[in-house]
Amino acid sequence: MDATTVLAAINGNIATVGYGLAAIGPAIGVGIVVGKTIESVARQPELQGRLTVLMYIGIAFTEALAFIGIATYFIFTAK
Amino acid sequence: MNPANNRIFTRILRLGSLLALGIAVVGCLVGGLTVGATGVTSALVGTALALVFTGMTAASILIGLRASGGSLLSGAFFGIVLGGWLLKFIVFLVIVVLLKDQPWVNTLVMFLSIVVGVVGSLVVDVVVITRSRVGIDVALPGAERANSDK
Repeated sequence: MDATTVLAAINGNIATVGYGLAAIGPAIGVGIVVGKTIESVARQPELQGRLTVLMYIGIAFTEALAFIGIATYFIFTAK
Repeated sequence: MNPANNRIFTRILRLGSLLALGIAVVGCLVGGLTVGATGVTSALVGTALALVFTGMTAASILIGLRASGGSLLSGAFFGIVLGGWLLKFIVFLVIVVLLKDQPWVNTLVMFLSIVVGVVGSLVVDVVVITRSRVGIDVALPGAERANSDK
């Protein structure tokens, strides 16, 4: 076996990388949404009610992507 | 806790459940006609997953606000909301792994039900929030004096 073949060999299920990729975006997204909400409430506490609702909608859109990403990976690798 | 927020999240949960019921009925019909009995069960499972996992976010915010006494800047609130988020994805992952090789599940029908359920719940969220009004907690000039006069 030459060096190129050894470097290119992959063992196990490559589809697990799919979950990793599907987790990166939502993790960053939720981090930004929550962080910016905390920042905004610290600056203007009177807007807390509105910011809670807006934070919810930010989290909802971010998690929608995560659900579809995870479901896609598992469902299209099913036998 | 802001009563307007309470109303909004309760409304999102209620309308989301109604929408999921509608999607389940349509999914069962389409799945049953195209794939057969497995299509019906897959549509039901997919819609239930979408309903439970998207509804959990609104529910966790409601519970979090109650636990923190209505304050957003508290460890209890973010612990419940973000902890619930993490837990939800772990449970979702485990359920999908368990379901994908079951003989009574058609993965394509289940996938389509999940996607329609998730997108539908987003539509409900946006519609409810755009039609809602949340007040700003600002003391008006003279409010303090008016209160002290009482």
